[in-house]
Amino acid sequence: MGRDLDSRDLPDNARGIMTTIETGARTKFLEYVMTLGMTTMEGRGFYYPVDTAIGRDDRLYVVNRSLDIVPRGVRVTMCDIDSEYYGTFGSFGEKDGQFIWPSGGAIDSRGRVYVSDEQLHRISVFDREGAFVSRWGSHGTGEGELDTPSGIAFDNQDNLFVSDTYNHRIQKFTADGRFLLSFGSQGHGDGELNLPWGVTLDANNNVYVANWGNDCILKFSPQGEYLASYGTSGSGDGEFQRPSSVAVDGEGYIYVADWGNERVQVLDPEGGFAMKLRGQATLSKWAENFLSVNVEEGAARARANLELEIDYSVIHPHEESSHIEKFFWSPVSVKLDRAGTLYVTESNRHRIQVYKRIAS
Amino acid sequence: MGNSDVELIAHLMRRAGFGATRDQLDFYAAQGYEATAEELLNPVDERRMGDDLIRRFHPELSGMMGPNASGENWLFRMATTTTPLQEKMSLFWHGIFATGYPKVIHGKALSDQIRMFRRHGMGSFRTLLVELSKDPAMIIWLDNQDNHKGAINENYGRELLELFSMGVGNYTEQDIKECARSFTGWTIANREYMELRSQRDSDWPYGRIAWHFEYHPEDHDDGEKEFLGQRGCFNGEDVIDIICQQQATARFISRHMYSFFVANEPPVPEWPDTPPLDEQAIQQLSQAYLDSGYDITAMLRVLFNADFFKSRSSWYTKVKSPVELVAGVLRLTGEFDRPRREILDRQLQAVYMGQFLNNPPSVEGWHEGTDWLDTGSLVERVNFATQQMGDANKPGVQAMISNVAANAVGPISPERLVGECLDQMGAMSVSEDSRRVLIDFASMGGDVALGAGNSDEQSRRQIGAVLQMVASTQEFQRS
Repeated sequence: MGRDLDSRDLPDNARGIMTTIETGARTKFLEYVMTLGMTTMEGRGFYYPVDTAIGRDDRLYVVNRSLDIVPRGVRVTMCDIDSEYYGTFGSFGEKDGQFIWPSGGAIDSRGRVYVSDEQLHRISVFDREGAFVSRWGSHGTGEGELDTPSGIAFDNQDNLFVSDTYNHRIQKFTADGRFLLSFGSQGHGDGELNLPWGVTLDANNNVYVANWGNDCILKFSPQGEYLASYGTSGSGDGEFQRPSSVAVDGEGYIYVADWGNERVQVLDPEGGFAMKLRGQATLSKWAENFLSVNVEEGAARARANLELEIDYSVIHPHEESSHIEKFFWSPVSVKLDRAGTLYVTESNRHRIQVYKRIAS
Repeated sequence: MGNSDVELIAHLMRRAGFGATRDQLDFYAAQGYEATAEELLNPVDERRMGDDLIRRFHPELSGMMGPNASGENWLFRMATTTTPLQEKMSLFWHGIFATGYPKVIHGKALSDQIRMFRRHGMGSFRTLLVELSKDPAMIIWLDNQDNHKGAINENYGRELLELFSMGVGNYTEQDIKECARSFTGWTIANREYMELRSQRDSDWPYGRIAWHFEYHPEDHDDGEKEFLGQRGCFNGEDVIDIICQQQATARFISRHMYSFFVANEPPVPEWPDTPPLDEQAIQQLSQAYLDSGYDITAMLRVLFNADFFKSRSSWYTKVKSPVELVAGVLRLTGEFDRPRREILDRQLQAVYMGQFLNNPPSVEGWHEGTDWLDTGSLVERVNFATQQMGDANKPGVQAMISNVAANAVGPISPERLVGECLDQMGAMSVSEDSRRVLIDFASMGGDVALGAGNSDEQSRRQIGAVLQMVASTQEFQRS
């Protein structure tokens, strides 16, 4: 089981070269396509994005957490895989349509956008263009109450599953917030939860939970019965360190944002290790545009070697990612579109890396 | 274990840490003073709010694009760590090797410097100076990226001698030049791009990119140098070896340590003309430095076990720095039992009181002692401490009130209530003047009559009000 949440860092006084090779059982499974986004405090761009919801029309709704001292960075950015920008909605605050700590995003069958808020303990609902529709949820520990709702996902009946983080459980609601079901309890044992984060459903409405504090992925039936656990604590193949998000494709492959290891792992439908990604970001269209306008910075960047091999004094992937820009840095969310294209949202790099399946 | 021993351990925890709750003091008292000091000196079992928990809820506290994040992150750690001396020593070195945001403009680089202090701040001073000289934030702060073979920039060489190791009067201008020559070629990777981003405060397109040290042998002046009377083709590490051997270095570090942990010395520029407050103490610490091969922990061990540190006459004589005050209050209130947005406000409170972590006023750091106090900052300090202690929803405050109530046998007189509250706030002892004021205040509410007519809520309010008042005493504002 994972190290204690209140415990020390990974050893940070050892010396070593980090392994950065992307290998796995099936190296040809996924192929890098492109990077989307860049950091901007407002408007076109992202600011500490923490999740991306994908509409049926493949529009991307990117949930931006911002930083606490920059309220104007809190927003949802609308764009698509072609880097078309459709505007933003939401702002910082406690009123209707506002957020304090926005966290997860999900889209219902009508195209409405749902956003969880970990500070206000509620779910806000917007239409496709970002107009506020409604909100529901209240703070507490009772049935239907929430303490720090993070990941959210719909089943195919338009019921919303909410990762109720500090209550260490998953709750199921109707789209308008009527409580239906609660399952999971706090612990480190089989089927038990510890600060769960991302949640998703497969084609059969089985529920997968990124069991963040316990370093594994849990699978539950649609009724909340515990079915399986994938992965253990560690940095080896098939092992996880604080997984933040999970997605499942039509064939049952499981994609995991292995957040603490700064990578994405793919498990086969039986839960066996399939492959891993460390990240290979390139310049997005928006980034290219920025650097073409800011000529001096673009030229200096072109002369820099951003992939230096470094003898790290701190052997921790998080630190490595802070130095090597192309690597995932806080890959917080993995989402699949209808075609099976994978979108990896990285909060600390304010971008999305896109990968597509290679026909097997 | 007598109460005086608990009070002595409380003194140790205020100076070597950020104070302790009464429950923590009971734990330490059971093992005794010396064992507690050893536990502080050997921080092997650190428990605190983990970085992963912090950065899950506060992504900026790892991405660090703005000026506040590194301080917020550090404050989380000060408020929750079980190895407080490690943080106190990082703060100590930050005050001496003061590196600031306005020139570096890279919170991650500044935070990485503090992490380096955490790793090396209680080990060999030689290692610490080598790591400091390779620290990217320090390189940019003192322009060593502009220190080239044949065109030296003296900034780092000068401050290394003047402010970081020996002090004015112990070297010549020529030594400074030779020192600078020895550090030519010590720079950061991708210097042009990183410097440009820093100058423009640019986090585009993908956030901050951490800096790392790079040595350029072709830019290093490998010629012969004469430094502090020794000749050789010195590189930076050779110069640090010579610096560490000096009696002046031993005294300089000792005096800093005495000033930080025992009693405030005047500002460093006055040291050449002002004798130390306690010459014997400086000699003891200097000897520990030299005997141990420049080991910082060996010096601290001597200090914490010395009469000049333990003496009751030194208790409550040092004004807490704003960060010490804020971290101490947060440890008592237990507010950060999980990540909370309020960490930003708490960090800003320390700024309003005059101390912005990773943003000192100059390369000389902060002036300590009573310089922390002026009319405005004193009001901020008292308001902050009393407001925080007055929030009975905070788990630490709740626990203190409950402990006072649980210890009561019958009604609690004002005198008894004040004694209990002082004890709960960390086995505090106060002057007769302070005690009289507290008792007068407590007397306005009369006896706390638990279970005898008064509602529990009213009794808890009475207890809470006295806890608040204790936070406003001059003793609470000092360590």
